[in-house]
Amino acid sequence: MTMDRRTVLGLGGVATAGVVLAPGMTLIAAPPPDKTEASSDQRWAMLIDVNKCDSNCTACTKACRQENNVPLFGDPNRDIHWIRKLEIRDKEHRRPSVSLPVMCNHCENPPCAHVCPTQATFIRKDGIVLVDKHRCIGCRYCMLACPYKARSLVYHETSRNEDSNPEVPIRAKGVVEKCNFCVHLVDDGKQPACVQACRNEGKHAMIFGDLNDPQSEISVKIRTVKTQTIRADLGLKPHVHYEGL
Amino acid sequence: MRSLQSHPLKFTVLLALVWAFVLVLPTMVVASGSGADVTQHSKSAYTGGPPQLENAKGEACIRPSDWMRRNHMDFLKHRRAQTVREGLRIRSESLIKCAECHQSREKFCDQCHNYVGVAPDCFECHSYPK
Amino acid sequence: MLSNFTAIEGRSFGYWKLVTFFAVLILMGAGAFVAVEIHGHGITGMNNKIAWGVPHVFAISMLVMASGALNLGSMSTVFAVKQFKQFGRFSAFLAIALLIGGLAVLMLDLGRPDRLLLTMMHMNFTSMFTLNVFLYSGFIIICFLYLWSMFEYQQYTKVIGSAAFMWRVILTTGTGSIFGVLHAREVFHSALTAPTFVALSLSSGTAISIILLVTTFKHTKRRLDDIVVFGLRNALIFFTLLVAYLLVVEKFTKFYSPAFYDVQNWILTGPYSWLYLLGVWGAAILIPLGILFHPSRGNSVKGVLWASISAVIGTFALVAHILLAGQAYPLNMFPGYEVSSVFLDGVTATYTPTSVEYILGFGGIAVAGIIYLLGIKFFRMLPDKAVAPEGYELPWNP
Ligand code: SF4
Ligand code: SF4
Ligand code: SF4
Repeated sequence: MTMDRRTVLGLGGVATAGVVLAPGMTLIAAPPPDKTEASSDQRWAMLIDVNKCDSNCTACTKACRQENNVPLFGDPNRDIHWIRKLEIRDKEHRRPSVSLPVMCNHCENPPCAHVCPTQATFIRKDGIVLVDKHRCIGCRYCMLACPYKARSLVYHETSRNEDSNPEVPIRAKGVVEKCNFCVHLVDDGKQPACVQACRNEGKHAMIFGDLNDPQSEISVKIRTVKTQTIRADLGLKPHVHYEGL
Repeated sequence: MRSLQSHPLKFTVLLALVWAFVLVLPTMVVASGSGADVTQHSKSAYTGGPPQLENAKGEACIRPSDWMRRNHMDFLKHRRAQTVREGLRIRSESLIKCAECHQSREKFCDQCHNYVGVAPDCFECHSYPK
Repeated sequence: MLSNFTAIEGRSFGYWKLVTFFAVLILMGAGAFVAVEIHGHGITGMNNKIAWGVPHVFAISMLVMASGALNLGSMSTVFAVKQFKQFGRFSAFLAIALLIGGLAVLMLDLGRPDRLLLTMMHMNFTSMFTLNVFLYSGFIIICFLYLWSMFEYQQYTKVIGSAAFMWRVILTTGTGSIFGVLHAREVFHSALTAPTFVALSLSSGTAISIILLVTTFKHTKRRLDDIVVFGLRNALIFFTLLVAYLLVVEKFTKFYSPAFYDVQNWILTGPYSWLYLLGVWGAAILIPLGILFHPSRGNSVKGVLWASISAVIGTFALVAHILLAGQAYPLNMFPGYEVSSVFLDGVTATYTPTSVEYILGFGGIAVAGIIYLLGIKFFRMLPDKAVAPEGYELPWNP
């Protein structure tokens, strides 16, 4: 079963060249098999090439909001950002500033999951760190524990409108959530929304794939170019890698 | 001097009462509050009298109807946990398939739920597939 | 010298006024809880940078004081300090009352308190929270047993008292570790955070005991010898010095590590420096010490009372500083770089608590207060008169 799943996902990777129907929608050659399950044969990860990222571009953040029904409340202190654009610059201002997207790093040693009292936050077999929103009690301990500010509590009631994505739930009040690597798309053999958007924008700064598959684009790149993770010194082993930081 | 024996018991009772006051009471208030909410927003669907189920479109359910009537909630909940936590996705048995036969939540799910007064909160976040 | 224990009369107008006052506070607290449940945490001042706010400051301060309150009892049991033996019942009972008050606030502030039972169903043993659930419930049980043994089975008091003493050290370590173990937060990530909490619990527990003993004995017109209070004063001095020592060691170490210059300077000069300097160093340490070492004020019950009040306020300040400043300090995602974004990266977080949070917090204090008031009325918690054993002399006076 895992075998043909991998072939399908392989196709998903090639579908870069496939038919693009509309921004954010890519037609994939084969539909996913009837039954799929997360397995440790995969290890999903992302690689972001900072050189290709542009400080004016917010395609990824917009796509994430659209895909995952992440609302903006209009209060910068409470707005939810599953992915955000950061500008960084050395303190002496010797070099120009760099722009990059930051999201949940899907750490291999995630402190958020370590501190969660109910195991609402957990690592799926394929390495994706998820929040089970049916189980989260809203204690917010994970928000204190995450070094990347990847998590937000939903402070206000949210609601559906015509633009909402019906395939994805709206965000529930009183629960903590974060980027989930677009798990519903990945399970269907598709690419996360932000990655698709970045590609449709013509930037190709983000790639997503399986680190356990030595042939995947991301594995090849990580073997051949110099990449790094944010705050590697903390030892969390993030799975969002950056090139050219 | 009263007997010492009575103290620990009284003590326990007192503390239990205070506990109850502190935790249970507000929780009950909320529970009844949200319950009231649900009945209110589903009032439109509930017309009184026994439930009137819309006829399903397809041939047969993915499980025998009798079994489904009794167990759909546990079935769904179990699947929910498996899907969220293990990534299990069985496309032929997903909620989308439910909606292919039972096209209206109001005319199917809500009918019985309102009649027996249960208020599952799934669809406060998820949308019933169209 | 064992005095008789009697319940207080509790029929005076003043007593019932206090009970009613606390009851009203509890009702208001419950109202605040319901309001937050219905409207969401949007009506509090908390946000995505400062996710733990005023309710947690109240809750954690009370938990810290709870374990410290047991101190009078355990000192008398474990270290055979005779003059405190008469307060054993009082201290165990106060510990339970404060713990329940604190826990109530902590639980009622959850985003989804209706799911509290899930914590029991899906334990995660790597979480400090889960460990604390065991530590707290165990603490309540041990305090009960301790009380019970003091009431009826004196022969077991020593064993249970010693167990309670160990438990409370572990308990406060657990509370401190909620913060100390978080690698991401430079302000409080330190192995010394937990010991500091233990020391803080000792000083604040002694202080709250002094306050309650002096006021209760005064209003019930019972005799409380000055020398007993001064014994407590000496303990308070020692514990306060302990807190100061740990704080100094922590700062001292960090100032030798250039990576911490930024955060340490921020603590001393940044937007929360007033809390650190006035609250932590002022109210928790220097003011109490100043009063207690003063030759005349340190030798008057009134002076000791004021010093204790300041110490309790200081405890709240210290917890508030760890919590609020700890979260407000921007996460250092790119050391050596300036960071900016729409999500307010690299900026000190702002937080303006709203009244619901304070009401919830004071509700918790009222819960503890009402348990205490009813407890001393219905049970024989307090001695008729608190006198020092014969021939007892204080080793030291200011
Ligand atoms: S980035 Fe934060 S939220 Fe994501 S897995 Fe790591 S610790 Fe958890
Ligand atoms: S807020 Fe939710 S996900 Fe985070 S630690 Fe608490 S229960 Fe776990
Ligand atoms: S992977 Fe999906 S959820 Fe995560 S940031 Fe990208 S679009 Fe958002």
